[in-house]
Amino acid sequence: MQEQPDNFSQSDMPEEVDSEPVEQNFRSEAPVRSSINSKPSILSEGFTFEGTIVSDGVLNISGTVRGTVTAKSILIDSTGQVDGELNTENLVIKGNLKGDVNCDDLNVGPLAHVTGNINYKYIHIQRGGKISGKFNKN
Amino acid sequence: MAEANQQGCLFVGEGVVLKGNFEVPDIASISGIVEGELTAKQVIIEATGIVRGKLSGESIDIRGEVNEYISSTRSLIIRSTGKVSGSINYSEIEIEKGGHLHGELHNLNPHS
Repeated sequence: MQEQPDNFSQSDMPEEVDSEPVEQNFRSEAPVRSSINSKPSILSEGFTFEGTIVSDGVLNISGTVRGTVTAKSILIDSTGQVDGELNTENLVIKGNLKGDVNCDDLNVGPLAHVTGNINYKYIHIQRGGKISGKFNKN
Repeated sequence: MAEANQQGCLFVGEGVVLKGNFEVPDIASISGIVEGELTAKQVIIEATGIVRGKLSGESIDIRGEVNEYISSTRSLIIRSTGKVSGSINYSEIEIEKGGHLHGELHNLNPHS
């Protein structure tokens, strides 16, 4: 009579352990699906664009742009070159920029060259970044 | 660093107001208010420090406020609590996130 309860408890345990990893697999897939929406638009190295770009999303510039760029978030990569006007919330500059900027968050990398009138809310310039022009905090 | 050898150094404590032109051969550490021109090899503007006028030096580190003019021949650092306005001349610059910058910025050696 004392052996039977022991057998039952042992057989219950493995079933619970099996069910837990299955749930964890489903949970880990969810964040991967949601990140697809934030895919950036990319202007690759060697590509030259002249004109106006408007985007609600993220724009990565590794090529050359002459004109007006409006986007939620802009990254000018180390090979990127922009000549013109930029309107954005989040701007990261690793390359060259000549022109007027309106942005909330500005981050200038150590190898960047920036010239122009810049209106910003928050600024961060890493040591070595070359910048000149008029700066205005909103 | 400065405490070990204070020769050639200027310390302006919190609450002190200095008016005039100052030539400091070594370190100038400002926690009070300076009105006028200040030139030093190394300048540290503490969080309570304010300079109204011209500020020149090799290395300048700003946690407080500087108005009108800054010229730094080596390195200029504006910390997150720093506020800078006016004409700014630098050879190497760093601005921490949160720092205020209002005015014209010039690179002293743009081709390097």
